[in-house]
Amino acid sequence: MADSLRALRLPVVPVEPRQEFAASLLRRLEHRTGQFTPGAATARYFVTDLDAAVSFYTQQLGFAEELRAAPGFAMLYRGDLRLLLSVPGQPGAAGTAAGEPEAEEPAAREPGASELSQPGGSNRIVLGVTDLTATVRRLRASGVRFRTGITPGIAVRQALLEDPSGNLVELFEPVTGYHERQGGT
Amino acid sequence: MLAIYRLALPRVYGYLLPRCGDTALAEDLTAETFLAAVAAASEPAAPEVSVGWLIGVARHKLVDHWRRAGREQRAPTAGDLGAEAVDDPWDEVVDTSAAHSALARLPGQQRAALTLRYLDDLPVTEVAAHLGRSLHATETLLVRARAALRRVYQEERDDG
Repeated sequence: MADSLRALRLPVVPVEPRQEFAASLLRRLEHRTGQFTPGAATARYFVTDLDAAVSFYTQQLGFAEELRAAPGFAMLYRGDLRLLLSVPGQPGAAGTAAGEPEAEEPAAREPGASELSQPGGSNRIVLGVTDLTATVRRLRASGVRFRTGITPGIAVRQALLEDPSGNLVELFEPVTGYHERQGGT
Repeated sequence: MLAIYRLALPRVYGYLLPRCGDTALAEDLTAETFLAAVAAASEPAAPEVSVGWLIGVARHKLVDHWRRAGREQRAPTAGDLGAEAVDDPWDEVVDTSAAHSALARLPGQQRAALTLRYLDDLPVTEVAAHLGRSLHATETLLVRARAALRRVYQEERDDG
């Protein structure tokens, strides 16, 4: 009788929601369950001035503050990435004198605080942006220190900057059309 | 729950979005679905969390939403006039997307009934269970809803 309406059938086709929505829902679920997602990336940066670091990451690079549990520790997130900021020597700063070793290991093998908890170094987090040229111009105008200008990478353009404590942050923008050219016949 | 989040999220959202046709609403209902699932999964004798089960929860949230919306706006609409509607045969639905958009203009209960019966392809008994109605009342609702859908569909075709 109403067989023509069978044409209305709508199988479930996966649709990726907005990334911000997916990330914020995941955080709400983690809160509810008291769990965390082992697959999500978390990075820790050591900083000398926590307030300056939190302002820098939230105001300049689009991070949101999730938690500030202690004077020397903050937790930020941007999309899927969670960033821990620790002041060396303060509670919550892993690998420093303030964190007691869990296992009974020879004290001599414990690396000192100065060895494992200094800002800087050459490893860096890598953040995607939609308009690298405009982002770099804006950041330069607000006094952010850049280590490189915009340079070409593999399928990306990138630029390297420093946070107020001297930690490196790499920004990148995918080069449009790269994959099409690679796959083109 | 969190273990299947990445797999389930696009499917739950992909179920809700085309049925409610609104990104903000689809996000709200997706969040409600997962939060309700987390609560249900912590109960004793909780069902095993699977994508299929989550889509069932999403379906429930969608029907609930239309029921709430239906209570808020009780202004008579095209569908309410169909009390004496006759369930006569309908020619082929030639334009499925026009039929889907006509569906969005029906009152909540009719939209819910047709969505469950045809978009989700559920048997009438399950439609009745979701709507909390008797089988007979559901069949009556479906007759009216089909007539209303047909009227809106043809109006839109005549206009366009």
